[in-house]
Amino acid sequence: MRLPAGVRDWLPDELARKREIEQKIRAVFGRWSYQEVQTPGFERFEVLEFGLGEALTDQTFRFSDRRANALALRPEMTTPIARLVSTRMREDPLPLRLSYVAPAYRYEEPQEGRMREFTQAGVELIGSADVDADAEVLFMAVEALDAVGLSDACFDINDANVVDGVLATLEIPEARRKECKALIGERNVVALRRFEEPRLVEYAMLRGERDALERARPLCGTPASRAALERLRDVLDRAATLGIGSRVNVDFALLRDLEYYTGFVFEGYVDELGFSLCGGGRYDNLLPRFGFDVPAIGWTAGTERLLIALERRGRHLERKRPRIDLLVAGSDVVAARERAAGNVVRFASGELSDEALIADARAHGIARILVARNGKIRELKVRKAPPPPAETVHPFGEAPH
Amino acid sequence: MSLTIAVPKGALFDDAIARLAAAEIAVPDDAGRRLTVGARAKDGETVELLFLRPSDVPAYVEFGAADCGIVGKDVLWETDRHVAELADLSFGACRLVVAARRIDRYHEGAALPTFLRVATKYVRSAETFFSERDLPVEIIPLHGSVELAPLVGLADLIVDLTQTGNTLREHDLVIVDEIDRSTARFVVNPIRFRAKYAELCGLLERLGVEATATA
Repeated sequence: MRLPAGVRDWLPDELARKREIEQKIRAVFGRWSYQEVQTPGFERFEVLEFGLGEALTDQTFRFSDRRANALALRPEMTTPIARLVSTRMREDPLPLRLSYVAPAYRYEEPQEGRMREFTQAGVELIGSADVDADAEVLFMAVEALDAVGLSDACFDINDANVVDGVLATLEIPEARRKECKALIGERNVVALRRFEEPRLVEYAMLRGERDALERARPLCGTPASRAALERLRDVLDRAATLGIGSRVNVDFALLRDLEYYTGFVFEGYVDELGFSLCGGGRYDNLLPRFGFDVPAIGWTAGTERLLIALERRGRHLERKRPRIDLLVAGSDVVAARERAAGNVVRFASGELSDEALIADARAHGIARILVARNGKIRELKVRKAPPPPAETVHPFGEAPH
Repeated sequence: MSLTIAVPKGALFDDAIARLAAAEIAVPDDAGRRLTVGARAKDGETVELLFLRPSDVPAYVEFGAADCGIVGKDVLWETDRHVAELADLSFGACRLVVAARRIDRYHEGAALPTFLRVATKYVRSAETFFSERDLPVEIIPLHGSVELAPLVGLADLIVDLTQTGNTLREHDLVIVDEIDRSTARFVVNPIRFRAKYAELCGLLERLGVEATATA
C-alpha cells in the first residue's frame, strides 16, 4: 500500500496551503493578461525530446502504448506549449501570453525541493524578441513571489550571449567550450583554473549590480555579448525605477540547466533555502524547431518549493479549517435553502441524536445546527467543548501492526 | 550577515583550523570537542563553525545549513551534492590508488583473476574507474581498515586513499595504479554564494586564495 519514491499525497490541509499559493500566482498571471492553457500529462517522446537538453531527457519517465509508440510524462511545460502554439495557435495575433499551473514529472533522486511529481506555475510570452519582454517576465516573477508572501526574494539575471562572447574573446578552443560552460554554471573554479586563463576565473566569480557589467565589459569582445550587456543594463535600470533595484543582481555564472536558453535568463531565490524558487529565460530557438519561426521567453516557479520557503518561515503552518456555517439534519429542502443563501452547509447523514449532532458540529467548528423533524425546524445550541483530556501524542501517526 | 562554515573533523581538521586562523577567524582551543562554536572574525563579525564528519560536509552545504565548508575532493568524488568548488586549499594532499598484495605481482603485470573483487570505501570512484576500462569487477563496500581485505582473501584489490604510502607498505601492499589526486577544497552553496556574495568573496580572499574579481 506504499507509494513509489518521489511522489506524495496531499491531505486537505496540505492541499489547501498549496492551492492558496497557486491561486495567488494565478491572480498575478491574470493581472498581466496571461491566459491559462492545459496540455496533456503525457505526449509522444519525440516531441518532448525536441525541447529538452540531455539532462532533462535522461530524467524523463518514458513508456510505450500498445502499439509501441514511445510516450513520456512531460518533465516541464515549455516544450508542450511550444508544440501547442506552433500547431494550433499559429494564426493568433502575436505576442501571445499564456500561463499554466500543472504537474510535471522527472526521475530525480527525491530530496527537499526535488520530487518526481511536482507542480509548475509559469508563463510563456511568445512572439517578442524585445528587451521589454525580458523585463516583463522578470517583473512578473518578482510580483508573483511578492504575492505569495516572499517579498524579500532576490533575483539574479544573466544573458546566455555573454558567456559565449567571453569564451570566444578568451579564445577557449571550440571543442572545450561546452565543458567550460558547464564548469562556469557549476562555479567549479578549481577546474576552471586548469584552463590557465585567469580571466575565466574572474568571469565565473563575477556578480553584482551595474558595476559587474562594467567589469565584464573587457571580457566581452563579440557584438552579441556587448549587446547582451546593454540589455542587462536596461533591465537593471528599469528594476531600479520600479524600486526593486536592490533585489536584482547580475550573476554571470547563472547559465541554467536547459540547453535551449538563447538570451536573457534569471532565477529567484530566498536567503535561507539552498535552491532556487523560480527561474526562466529566453529560448528563441525552440519554436523554430517546431517549424514556427518566432522568439519566446518564459519563467516557471515550483509551487512546492514556494510552500517549503513559506513553511520555513513559520508561515502557512496553521491548520486552516474550512469555514462551515451550518449543520443541517433531516431536510434536503432546508439544506438547499441555506446553501442558496450563500452558506456552507454540512448535511448530517443518518438518524443522529442531538448529542451526536453537537459533537459533529464541534469537531468541524460549526456554530449552528438546524434539525428538521416532523415538519418542524429547531436550532440546537453548540456550547464550547470542554478541553480534551491529555493524551499521548503521535505526530507521525502510529506504526501499522 | 554572519557566515556558517562547515569544518571537517579528522585528517583535515588541524589544517582547516590553521587556515581559518590565518584568515583571521579566532577559533577557541576546545573547539574540537564541540559540535558548533561561535568564532569571531577580525572585522568583528561572528562566524559559526560546524564540526562535522567529513562525508557530511557536502549535505550541510547543499541544503544551506552551512553557507560554505572545507572538504576533501575525495569526499566530493563520492557524492552528487551540488556545491560550488571555489578554491583548492592545497592541504590534505593524498592519492586515490588501486593497491594489491606485493606477492600477487599485479603491479608487475601478472594476470588478473577472471572474477575480480575490489574492496573499498570509495565505491563510486572505484566503479567509474573499472567500468571506464570495461573490467567486470565486484565492488565490496567497506567502512574501515580496507587494507585488511586482500590479506585475508576478501578481495583481490583495494581502492583506497594514501598520503605517504606507509600504511600500504606496512601491510606489504603495493600501488597498482593511481586513480586521482585529492586536496582540501573550499565549497559554497551556489544560492548562498549570491545571497552572501561580499562575505564569501571576502572569506575566500582571507583564506589566501588567489584574489578574484572583487577588487
